[in-house]
Amino acid sequence: MKKYLLKRVFYMALTLFLVATITFFLMKLMPGTPYSNQEKMSPEQIAIMNQQYGLDKPIWMQYLLYIGGMLHGDMGTSFQFSNQPVSYLISSRIGASAQLGIQAMIFGVFFGIIFGSIAAINRNTWVDTGVTILSIIGKSVPNFVLAVLLQYYIALKLGWFPIADWGGFAYTVLPTIALGVGPLAETSRFMRTGMVDVLNSDYIELAKAKGLSKFQIVYHHALRNSLIPLVTLIGPYTVALMTGSMVIENIFSIPGIGEQFVKSILTNDYPTIMGVTMLFSAGLVAVILLTDIIYGIIDPRIRLAGNEG
Amino acid sequence: MKLAKLAKAGAVVALSAVFLAACGKSSDNSASDKQVLNWSESAELPSMDLSKATDTVSFNQLNNSMEGLYRLGKNSKIEPGIATKTEVSDDGLTYTFTLRKNAKWSNGDPVTAKDFVYSWQRTVDPKTSSQYAYLFDGVANAQDIMDGKKQPSELGIKADGDHKLVVTLDKQVPYFKLLMGFPVFFPQNQKVVEEYGDKYGTASKYMVYNGPFVLKDWTGTNLSWTLAKNKNYWDKSKVKLDEINYKVNKSTTTAYNLYQSGKVDATVLGAEQARQLKGQTGYTDRKEASVFYLQLNEQKAEFANTKIRQAISKAIDREQYVKQVLAGASTPAKGFVSSGLAERNGKDFVDAAYVKSAVEYNEKDAKKLFEEGLKEVGQDKIEFSILGDDTDTSKKATEFLQSEITETFGSDKVKVTVSNVPFKTRIARTQDKNFDVVVSGWGADFADPISFLDLLTSDNPQNAGGWKNEEYDRLIEASKTTDANDPAKRWDNLVQAEKILMDDQGVIPLYQSTKPWMVKPSVKNVIFNSAGVNYNFKEAYISGN
Repeated sequence: MKKYLLKRVFYMALTLFLVATITFFLMKLMPGTPYSNQEKMSPEQIAIMNQQYGLDKPIWMQYLLYIGGMLHGDMGTSFQFSNQPVSYLISSRIGASAQLGIQAMIFGVFFGIIFGSIAAINRNTWVDTGVTILSIIGKSVPNFVLAVLLQYYIALKLGWFPIADWGGFAYTVLPTIALGVGPLAETSRFMRTGMVDVLNSDYIELAKAKGLSKFQIVYHHALRNSLIPLVTLIGPYTVALMTGSMVIENIFSIPGIGEQFVKSILTNDYPTIMGVTMLFSAGLVAVILLTDIIYGIIDPRIRLAGNEG
Repeated sequence: MKLAKLAKAGAVVALSAVFLAACGKSSDNSASDKQVLNWSESAELPSMDLSKATDTVSFNQLNNSMEGLYRLGKNSKIEPGIATKTEVSDDGLTYTFTLRKNAKWSNGDPVTAKDFVYSWQRTVDPKTSSQYAYLFDGVANAQDIMDGKKQPSELGIKADGDHKLVVTLDKQVPYFKLLMGFPVFFPQNQKVVEEYGDKYGTASKYMVYNGPFVLKDWTGTNLSWTLAKNKNYWDKSKVKLDEINYKVNKSTTTAYNLYQSGKVDATVLGAEQARQLKGQTGYTDRKEASVFYLQLNEQKAEFANTKIRQAISKAIDREQYVKQVLAGASTPAKGFVSSGLAERNGKDFVDAAYVKSAVEYNEKDAKKLFEEGLKEVGQDKIEFSILGDDTDTSKKATEFLQSEITETFGSDKVKVTVSNVPFKTRIARTQDKNFDVVVSGWGADFADPISFLDLLTSDNPQNAGGWKNEEYDRLIEASKTTDANDPAKRWDNLVQAEKILMDDQGVIPLYQSTKPWMVKPSVKNVIFNSAGVNYNFKEAYISGN
């Protein structure tokens, strides 16, 4: 196990290094400068600015300097937020995104499992059809449409929750729902399929034959095995949600990191592009490892290390 | 024992409830007397370092929390700031400013001439990497310092004691006083800048202020902050607002919902909302000093031909452009200079220099001119591509232009393609002259027609199309030299220059950006200027509902 983990961590580091390298060179292919007032500056002024920021150096040298900085924990300073270290920009804004992402995931997965199970148990009845239709709607209606509707009807018209802003649990309810409907729909579909498969298997027949109640069968025997396909889905989904949704964050005026993924690229804010890309990649590889470990816990048949050891 | 403990706890809870309720009440009372303005902003505040700020949000906060020699009032008229008296030498090259003695920083330090000297030197120093330092062009040695050929200490600004500032120019800058209202010319407190170092201007606590308000609760990356009345401001008796609470709402739908619920007093609107709300109480059109226009690359023989340029301009129906592409949220351009920017004797510059034929839709004339132009360049068909941004609006815009031009001249005479690229790419390609036709935009930094007209002199790097006219160059030059001290003559020069530009169709103006706003009628005395810094809240107040 220890050896396996070490090996995995090594590959993770290698992956991250490759991501950093590829992103860096691709990013440098983008035309333009990171200066927001570039439009009004003369070529001479731009040249002087490039010199100040070391952007006149050959790209391979900029790359070495950047990687060197990263190894010392220095991610550089942002161009959009003048003088602001990228590490601060990320750390000050990841919190809200992560909280929302986790809440949305919990909300989505919890109700998704319940709905999916109910549908599977009542297979081919109107309940099943109802859940399927709801999942399709949940999957196909973009979350910003739902967000705008929730904001208008629940917040503005009924006044049950704040319209926007950030400052306590009440502020997170509507964005959590808007963000969580996607995973809810997805989870319930996966759950239904998984559960239907499991319910058809021999050992469930045996449990039925033993005379166990429907609830006991589902809760003690079917649920755990039905979760396996879901685990594959949840990990990457959580990372995607935690790193922020630009649209939802904009609609509810949440100080999250979501917009930086897009804005940093549009403004050629090189250090921020690298910072958010690395954040996302690190989250993703960590989650993949975690998923593999969780597999082993849920289903002992899946061996982590194998015997090649 | 247990019971006693419970009772004790109960008493504490009850007491604190009473206490809290009392607190709530008292703060409610004071809230009703307080002058509070709630403002919705559409983007973050990225920097409060006035040497480095580049965006409108930063400039607006700087303009209200800091003060320079002058402050821009209504219609961009200069009002007293830190300077009480200004003497200009006969040759227009030396400005002597007398500073008021009662101006203070929010930490209690006096605002002195040295603060201006330090600030200006800091901004032009290439090490500071200021993106607005170019505005200092004209101050003695500024250009050489920015190019790294001279030391910042050689800049043409000297403190003569604490309250006298002498600025020397190496060429006349007729709008120099107007520039003094732009944040990049404001003073900075050396002690504070050096104390905070890299952190200076990155959060409200790493700053010191000398304007009507001080900034609070800004962490550098958050979405809300407050401008609170500055107790140390020299003219604080005129400041009526206690607080301006800013909230960033990037979605105009959200902002308008907040407006409806009474949480914000003013917000910008989206185009669709503007269409619905036009004419309602509170609806306000704010004209901005930014004009969008087409540049035609005159390296291509067909675009070096005046008739073809004129024909293309006449083929564009600007009324329809504004309606279809911008949902009616902007104004068709009357010329290259924006309207509402400058006036003389009650007449707007744009009206004084209006050349109707250059911005008028006229299919018949367009066709005729196009045929003639084609003959002159000896071609029977031209092909070109229109370069624009890749936003939804820009895509609509380039498609609109493509179809207008193709329909007017016929697909046998013209083949138009469109190319939509990210903003940064568009800028880079424009600067490299790698385009046929490009949709460009320009926003004026200060309220003078020259901030537009300067762009099209033959040696200006912004003149990417490469249009050239000797008379135009001469008039612009005269406005800066021989006629710099004569406002009437200078005005005439600029009017003539704009007329030449339009007659010759050096550029094809499309529209002037206008932002639709909802502002509660109870919000009074907010000063909005189209150029440079938009908002001045110094004497704003809330009255009625």
